[in-house]
This record gives sequence, structure tokens and C-alpha cells, in this order.
Amino acid sequence: MTPAWILDIFAAVMLAVAALSVARIAAAWPWRRGAVVNETDIAYPLMGVAMAGTLTVGLRTLPDGAWDVIFAVLTAWFGYRVVRDARASGGRPLAGLLRAPQRVQSAAMLYMFLALAAPATGGGAGASGPAMRTLNHTTLAFAFAAVLATCSVWDLDQLSGARYSLARGFLLSPEISVGCRIAMGVTMSFMLLIMI
Amino acid sequence: MNDIAVAGCRAVGRGGLGTEAVAVRQTPDARRALQLALAVVWLLDAMLQYQPVMYTKAFGQSLAATAAGNPGVIARPITWDATLVEHHVVVLNTIFATTQLLLALGIAFRPTVRLALGASIAWSVAVWWLGEGFGGVLAGGVSPVSGAPGAVILYALLAVLLWPADRGGMPAPFTAARTLGARAARVLWLVLWLSLAYFAVQPANRAPQALHDMISGLESGEPGWLAAIDKGAAALVAHQGLAASIVLAAALTLVAVGVCLPATARAAVVLALVVAVVIWVVGQAFGLILVGGATDPNTGPLLALLALAYWPAWGTVSPTGGPRHPRAAGEGTTDR
Repeated sequence: MTPAWILDIFAAVMLAVAALSVARIAAAWPWRRGAVVNETDIAYPLMGVAMAGTLTVGLRTLPDGAWDVIFAVLTAWFGYRVVRDARASGGRPLAGLLRAPQRVQSAAMLYMFLALAAPATGGGAGASGPAMRTLNHTTLAFAFAAVLATCSVWDLDQLSGARYSLARGFLLSPEISVGCRIAMGVTMSFMLLIMI
Repeated sequence: MNDIAVAGCRAVGRGGLGTEAVAVRQTPDARRALQLALAVVWLLDAMLQYQPVMYTKAFGQSLAATAAGNPGVIARPITWDATLVEHHVVVLNTIFATTQLLLALGIAFRPTVRLALGASIAWSVAVWWLGEGFGGVLAGGVSPVSGAPGAVILYALLAVLLWPADRGGMPAPFTAARTLGARAARVLWLVLWLSLAYFAVQPANRAPQALHDMISGLESGEPGWLAAIDKGAAALVAHQGLAASIVLAAALTLVAVGVCLPATARAAVVLALVVAVVIWVVGQAFGLILVGGATDPNTGPLLALLALAYWPAWGTVSPTGGPRHPRAAGEGTTDR
């Protein structure tokens, strides 16, 4: 089995992303007129906590069924926004999906919780604790992993080449948001592929 | 990446929901796009290396199996490496996986692209020897359908062809020619695809049931839709091993030679893409990723990337990476 400490590292990264997103929401002063809160900052605390709980047994919070409902609602909301944004800008819905990978990530989370197989017992060399659960419908797992990996690589390329202004402050800067998106995409790809 | 949404500048009510902004979207040129595709493959490779089965004795045993059939001077280091991995699998496999992860991120991050590509060449050559036994090419009996000459050496080839430097003088007729020049790039293409054609007609691959057995052997554990495809393909080539190997060799030869002639280059690249996809789906079952336990996607996607690097439509590219003809206008930023 994949060593527990590796899973713990990825879980810690997910919790850091969740905490950072909550801090960004607070820093954006959402109660203020004209304030804009990014959809990633709303989605990522949920995704971060859910993924941390999947990676590390001790961090599990809600039952799988609850996460199914949460991510079904989130995915439906994102789907609505993709269509609405495409109609408003005259662009194609697919372009909207790729420009905002958190929408794909939400769908991947929904798939993951719906496709989880029953937990196995025991582990392999280097294992500590219960074995990692596996996923049914592995084609979707690979497809999501490939798309998320592509989005993460694209984000990293854009991040390394773009020029940002820190007019909104460090915490609210686009680099932090894109960095969180990259961390989320890489971790999600990791989870999907090791659970096949 | 998205339209800019800045606090306080939108006419919204109490609060609003926006998508994150990127200051300036930079469209990569063809070479950078292929580098990013290579980074994606490395990233998937890294994640696959973290799979639970890689942390068992099975990983070391699979490495040891690649020594079979190789000359002693090549086989002994492989066996030594496999034994070492078997005894220290947790530490060593984590190093392997993390190295590949860093290579992927390094290629995607523009300031480190050269360092990462250079490191990937060294890493790929080492793994080709110690992890794949040179793809079994010296042991014999390998087939382009099953993954000859070994996926990992194709990573190194791509890294060389996509190196972020431009050879001066004449504009490059295709992306892969930008670094080494058109002649050297075509020679590499010829060597690769003609060697694949050679492997396709080796005695082991000409046997009546050779290709059938190779494909039908993949069905176990596959998703139903993929197993159905493989079943149909295996039935198609049953008892037709000789004919199938000749057809495959002919196609590979056409791909090899066609790229060297400007009039047929585009058709040859399209054929290469078709061959790569068919091999990946039918012959390699997506590298057995869907079954679990695969270490990499196998050669299919890498052959497709190579083909795209020889696509003539993305030339003529000037040494600075900018467009040379009006139809190539719109090319964006180049890699560093």
C-alpha cells in the first residue's frame, strides 16, 4: 500500500488549501457592497476537507452519502454557471469548463464518492492502517485524472509566464488562487490514479 | 484564463460570485504546447508510480524480469538494481515517483524547463537500462504493439526534439526541427519508425497467433467496453499473424519515409497518429492503466506526441519562434 505518510502529506496540502480559501473569503469582505468572492474559494474548503478525509482515515468528517449530495449540488451549480457564462459571452461551454478547472474538479469529486468501492481490509508492505479504497468505473477515473493533470500543467505554465499585480493584496492575489487550483488538481489526479 | 473580476468594480448587489482572474493569458507556441503535453504524461507517470502495488515486492520482481535475454554486462546492473528496490521499496519507489513529479512540474514551470528537460533525458536513459532492460530490443521478441522500444526512451527523444533552443539559419519546416535542424530530426524519425517496422516482422511476431495472443492477453480485468474492442481485434487477426505483421510493418515504413518527403509529410504524420492511437487502445489497452498496476501510459501517447512534433502545418517557424507566414500568425509566446 502507498505509505500512510505520503497520503498524510497530500491530506495536509488539502487542508492548507481549504484553510487558505476560507481566509480568502474572509479577506474579501463578502458582506461589503460590490465585493466578489471567487467560486473556487467557496468550493475548495469543501473539496479540501473531503479529500483529506479520503486520504487519511482520521480526518474523515461526513459519511460518503453526505458528500455525494454536497458535490452533486456543487456540480449542478457549476454546470449552470458554465452554461450561463457561455450564453453571456457567446463562447462554447467546453471553453468555460477548461478555463475554470474547479468545475471539473467538482464533477470529479462527485464521481469519486459515487464510485467508491467497499473498503478492503489489510495492507501491503509499508502500510499502516486500513488499505486505500478503490474506485469502480476506472475509465472515468483515468479520464478525470488526465483532464485534471492537463489543467494543472496549463495553470503552472500560465502562472510562470504571467504578470500579476498585487493591488488586491497577497492573500487575494491570483497567484494564490491558481496555486491552490494546481495543488487541488495534482492531488486529485494522484487520488484518482492510486485508487484505480 | 478567465475574465477579470475585481472587488468593488462590478455593478453587483451585496456581494457577488466570480471566477479568478489571470492578468494576461499567454498562448504557448507549438513547441511549448508539446512540452506541456509531455509534462502531463510525466505527471500521470508520477502518480501511477505512487500506486499501492508499486510499494510491494512485485515492483522489484518486474524490474528483475527485464534482465532476461540481455547480455551479462547489461543484465547484471538490472538485477542488482531490482534486488536493491525489492529490499528498500518504500524509500526507492517514493524517490522514483517524486523525481517524476518534479520533472513534470519542472517542465511545466517556464523558468525550469531546460533543467527539467535535461534531467528527464538523464533519468529516462537510466530507467531505459535499469528499469526496462533497453526495452527488450537486445533480448529479442519485442513488438511495437506491446511497447517496443520501451516507452521511457521516447520521453528522452521528445525532450531532445522539444529542447527550447533554435538552430539558426533556415526556418524550421516542423516543430521538431527547431532544435536539431530538419535533417537530424528526420534521421531520428527514420531510425525510430524503421526500427519499429523491423520489430514488427521479427519471427516471434510473424507467428500465426502472435498478435492475436498479445491482444487477447490484455482482456483480463479490463472495463467491459475495452475488453469488447480487444476481443474483436483479436478475432480479426486470429491466424493472420504473418499478414498482420506485414501490414503493420508496411504502415510503419510509410510513416518513416513519408515524413522525409514534403509532399507526403502531412499524410505520414496523420498515419503515424492513427497507428499510435490504434496501438495504444487495441494493443496496449491504454497502458493497462484501467486495470491498475501500470507504471506508465506505454508508447502510444508518446508516439502521437512525436508525430505532432513533425506536423508541417506548424512550420514554417522562424528561429525566434514567431510566425513566418500569415497563416501561422497568432502563434503566441515561446518557451524560454
